[in-house]
Amino acid sequence: MNKKILFLLAMLLVLVIAAPVFAQETLTVLCTPQEDWCVAMTQAFQEQTGIQTSYVRMSSGESLARIRATADNPEFSVWWGGPADAFIAAKDEGLLEQYESPTAAAIPADLKDPDNYWTGVYVGALGFCSNNEILAELGVDVPASWADLLNPALEANVAMAHPATSGTAFTAFWTVVTLEADKLEYPDGKPAEGETVEGTGEGYDETGTPTQQAIDNAFGYFAQLNNNILQYTKSGSAPGTMAGNGEIAVAIIFSHDCVKLQVEGFEGVLTTSFPEEGTGYEIGGMAIIKGAPELEAAQMWYDWALTPEAQAVALTVNSLQLPTNPDSPVSDLSVNLSDVNLVVYNFVAAGANRTPIAERFDLEVAPAPTE
Amino acid sequence: MAAIIRSRPIRQFRQIFQDPVLAVALIAVSLFVFIAVILPILAMVSTGFSAEGLPLFQNYLQNPIYQTIITNTVVLGLTVGIIGTGLGFLFAYVQVKVKAPFKRFMHLIALVPIISPPFALASAAILTFGRNGMITKGIFGVRCFWGQGRSCNDIYGLDGLTMVLALSLFTVAYLNLKGMMLALDPAMEEAATNLGASKWRTFRTVTIPMLLPGILSSFLLLFVEAIADLGNPLVLGGNFEVLATRIYVTIIGLYDTNAAAVLSVVLLVPSLTVFIIQRYWVNRQSVVSVTGKPTGTPQQITHPLVRWPLVALVLAICLLIIILYATIFVGSFVKVLGVNNEFTIDHFDFVINGYGSEAMTDTTLLSIISTPLAGILGMIIAFLVVRKAFLGRGLLDFSTMLGIAVPGTILGIGYLLVFNNDIQLVLPFGGENAPVITLIPKLTGGRAIFGGAMAIVIVYMVRSIPAALRSGVAALSQIDPAIEEASISLGADNALTFRKITLPLIRPAFLSGLIYAFARSMTTISAIVFLTTPQTKIMTAQILNEVENGRFGNAFAYCVILILIVLVAIGILYLTVGSTTGAERTLEGGA
Repeated sequence: MNKKILFLLAMLLVLVIAAPVFAQETLTVLCTPQEDWCVAMTQAFQEQTGIQTSYVRMSSGESLARIRATADNPEFSVWWGGPADAFIAAKDEGLLEQYESPTAAAIPADLKDPDNYWTGVYVGALGFCSNNEILAELGVDVPASWADLLNPALEANVAMAHPATSGTAFTAFWTVVTLEADKLEYPDGKPAEGETVEGTGEGYDETGTPTQQAIDNAFGYFAQLNNNILQYTKSGSAPGTMAGNGEIAVAIIFSHDCVKLQVEGFEGVLTTSFPEEGTGYEIGGMAIIKGAPELEAAQMWYDWALTPEAQAVALTVNSLQLPTNPDSPVSDLSVNLSDVNLVVYNFVAAGANRTPIAERFDLEVAPAPTE
Repeated sequence: MAAIIRSRPIRQFRQIFQDPVLAVALIAVSLFVFIAVILPILAMVSTGFSAEGLPLFQNYLQNPIYQTIITNTVVLGLTVGIIGTGLGFLFAYVQVKVKAPFKRFMHLIALVPIISPPFALASAAILTFGRNGMITKGIFGVRCFWGQGRSCNDIYGLDGLTMVLALSLFTVAYLNLKGMMLALDPAMEEAATNLGASKWRTFRTVTIPMLLPGILSSFLLLFVEAIADLGNPLVLGGNFEVLATRIYVTIIGLYDTNAAAVLSVVLLVPSLTVFIIQRYWVNRQSVVSVTGKPTGTPQQITHPLVRWPLVALVLAICLLIIILYATIFVGSFVKVLGVNNEFTIDHFDFVINGYGSEAMTDTTLLSIISTPLAGILGMIIAFLVVRKAFLGRGLLDFSTMLGIAVPGTILGIGYLLVFNNDIQLVLPFGGENAPVITLIPKLTGGRAIFGGAMAIVIVYMVRSIPAALRSGVAALSQIDPAIEEASISLGADNALTFRKITLPLIRPAFLSGLIYAFARSMTTISAIVFLTTPQTKIMTAQILNEVENGRFGNAFAYCVILILIVLVAIGILYLTVGSTTGAERTLEGGA
């Protein structure tokens, strides 16, 4: 028995020794993009700086919830990746630290926060990711519009993430809000670029924020779409793999995630398409968390992540988002945003409406019994 | 005064406190159980009934969406309870009462799901029986077994969920019922047959009624496990949502602890009711224990029309289990199973050398720390409960058992509520500058002591101690206290007696408790999913991540390694703690 007590004591000792060594400089990153990119980024940073860098991957809604919950004693120092709406929501709630990075000067002004609370690290457009074989079996063409997704033949064959947990899904939601606002504002069709048409004022208020009516209409659309949804996943890119595995026909995900799947095993299985009415896009954000425990290391990360060599890490893991630094290398496989009809995405309004929409979606749409 | 001192409870406590070791043990375990089990549950319940929580109850209970979710949860518990108990009964019956070939094989296959990492079976089921599954699509060439669109009868939803949950949980029912059937006195059945009853009539009027308590308690156990399960509904639920997944999204997506607490209270009601029914009613109904040791060997069924269909059914289910586990194994060695079947060791490389290695070592280390502690605490509580009389003995037993009776998600949220900040005592003097004593430091979250690892170890212990306690109680009840009394009479104190007499005698139970504790810790998800931190990564949470993103290869590699670790640990435990024979008997008999 004495031996056993010794054994126990020895194990407790191991625990104490195994506990983090505090002397070394560390950095804890909250990472929202796909796991392999998180790994590659933290490893590259660690190699370059010698700072012990660890990360936790969380979906964007999950990240926001976690930062909010631990605001008085933050666990993370820097938050890297995921749609900017979540960063704007966090900024509005005072959860982020202002930081004027010297390298941020290279980033175009429309891809960063005017007050230096966050800076964009990549850009990508939302799209549809379809399994060719399953579509053929269902006798449905590759979806080319939001309306196509409502096709009854696709019943229980579409998947998207849950807007409460996923930035991807929220981007999809806000895209539809924007389209509905356009419809209300310009019943005769959206004016072409350069053309000025007096709007009805029903789609947007005077600050350019989509009206409640537009949001209600978007809820109407998603309530209809709900009948075709098989499952709401936690993570935004997850539906893409479901489509690849043939569990569903169409996934609503970021187009670059679909291209990544095609490169990594689902070649010829999946097709990327875009809705003709217009699609939303994300600016992948980055910010330092207020009260960051490792402020200095976080600033080093921030400066580094905006450089071309840091943004080039994406290519090693087939993350084909477009980098925000104009000098960063771009893959031939990346989707060229100028070929896609993009909506005018109001990130600020999106960020402000994020939490109420997530809660309302949770109550009204997702768990609603389907016919 | 004299009269008061002679009153029973006080006299009992005086007896205990005469022995300082005993007193310390009693205080220590009571304190542990109070802080680690009762406090989090109380915090959760009081948050649910707080001013912010109460109005939500009304919202939820009147909202048709939530009514559906609650109904779903109960329906899932019922179907899994019935089908899982049915499976367990079938396997046990064939094992004990039917003359069948391959019995050893059937037994081993039935034990396999004990070590089922969460999501492993669910993911394997998607790849084999999913809409594009290797069997559904590959062999039968269909996406749905019947129907299409929303009414497509696929793996998602209640049916698939029931199948996977029943398969992963039926082992408990099997072991339980097999033990009972072996203990049944065959003389009863023989008497019925001799009096002219047919086999069917004997089965119906003698065997089943005698097994009823076992059947009921298995059913209730599976019911509780099924409604508490988080992993499988997350992956296989489709649009069939249950309370556990709802609570998960509420915390993960909205971090709304009030709403989560309210939903948890709703989930707690059926769990606790069933637990109490099982504990205070079903266990009293046992017919088996009074008959004592069986006399004679049970007669086995040889009639071909009964025998072969039963054997075929059991073998078919064995085949199903083998297919699912083979899918896990094969899937961990190919790129994308079913889509690109090229051999690769990338997944293992990712788990062993990649960032997954941290989760592997963390989980194993924490389980290794918590397992012996849980075993020892379980045995101490068992000893106190069985051998010592004191006020609150039943309460201590009950509170300890709550650790497993309460759904894991509820425990996890309770920990977030209680241990997210230092628990401090402000001394009642000194005014503004009153001295503050930190009673319990912050345990959860990345900035807590040991990077949040301590909370996880405690949760592992809380979830494992009940099993150790039950096997300890069962073993102790069979040992005559006279042996211990003899030791005391010869001058040994309580501690020495416990170490030299009691512990060796209950060693097999201790071992089965340890094995169960370790396997349980390594595979638990619902309780720790909210407690993992940047510094402490847990394998099951990583598996969830991989499965959620559809990277089944990595998830399967994790599962294979997890299964290996558990098997190696069981081997080591056999070698260090126990004689194989005694331990195996206990494990197979009733653990």
